[in-house]
Amino acid sequence: MTTSHAEPVSGQLPHEPEKATLEGRNKLIGFWLFLGGETVLFGTLFATFLALRGQTNEGPSANELFHLPLVAAATFILLVSSLTSVFAIQAMHRGNRNALALWLGITVVLGLGFLGIEIYEFYEYVVHKEFGMTTSAFSSAFYTLVGFHGAHVAFGILWIGLIIGQLFRKGLTVVTAPKVYVSAMYWHFIDVVWVFIFTVVYLLGKVG
Amino acid sequence: MSVQDKSDQQPVKHRHRTEGPQKHVVVFIFSIILTLIAFAAVKAGGVNTSFTIILLVVMAILQVFVQLGYWMHMKDKGHLMPILFMAFGFFVAFTCIIMALYWVWW
Repeated sequence: MTTSHAEPVSGQLPHEPEKATLEGRNKLIGFWLFLGGETVLFGTLFATFLALRGQTNEGPSANELFHLPLVAAATFILLVSSLTSVFAIQAMHRGNRNALALWLGITVVLGLGFLGIEIYEFYEYVVHKEFGMTTSAFSSAFYTLVGFHGAHVAFGILWIGLIIGQLFRKGLTVVTAPKVYVSAMYWHFIDVVWVFIFTVVYLLGKVG
Repeated sequence: MSVQDKSDQQPVKHRHRTEGPQKHVVVFIFSIILTLIAFAAVKAGGVNTSFTIILLVVMAILQVFVQLGYWMHMKDKGHLMPILFMAFGFFVAFTCIIMALYWVWW
């Protein structure tokens, strides 16, 4: 086996391997800047939705459309997946590669469950409720905002899935650790955005 | 440990202790309770629409603060830049939302 710069000289992983190198620390700072930008992006989509949510163009309104038990199930799944990614990071801090991969795997499976619910929901709306992308200003704003979040979930699943593969190929090192940490932050951020979506889109849609 | 190894690490003043899962499970239960309050308030309905809306928004903001603080570690030391980035992001986002709520249908 060849030794690379990725492995610490002592052969032991530092306590917080994601912050052990300058590159790792820069990655975290850079990722926070990205998340600040994502906040602005979702902020503009929320603003558009809030401005247009009453414009139903004689199509279905939010109150007629939304089914809260389904939204509650999606919320619960995403919240649990945020907790499992916390457990993944704690396994990483213990230096346990297999437990880390397992918790990330559970996170990915829960993410797939969330995505399945969302696809089912959109299918129901388009096919059975005649609520398509071009039905009304409300429908366009709804699909753009919620669909954008769903696309983030899909990207996160792909990303974390690839990182699990890399953990088995390259092991847990000071190079792979920041990638794991940053993807877990991304996953928490997706959960944070969902908190605003279920509040602003679904619950406020039911209230009026 | 070689010199190269030391120079590559952050200075650690105290001995590092690995944190347990308890704190994060508490945050999780807190988030579940806030979510249940929000859903229950809408399910019950009828009370007062503007009160319900304020309650929903407060529940959401509380949950986001707790998750950003504990799960994303923003409350930990050395997070000044992340706080600045996120605060500026939320500032621009809320400006857009105020604009959409009050100016679009002036």
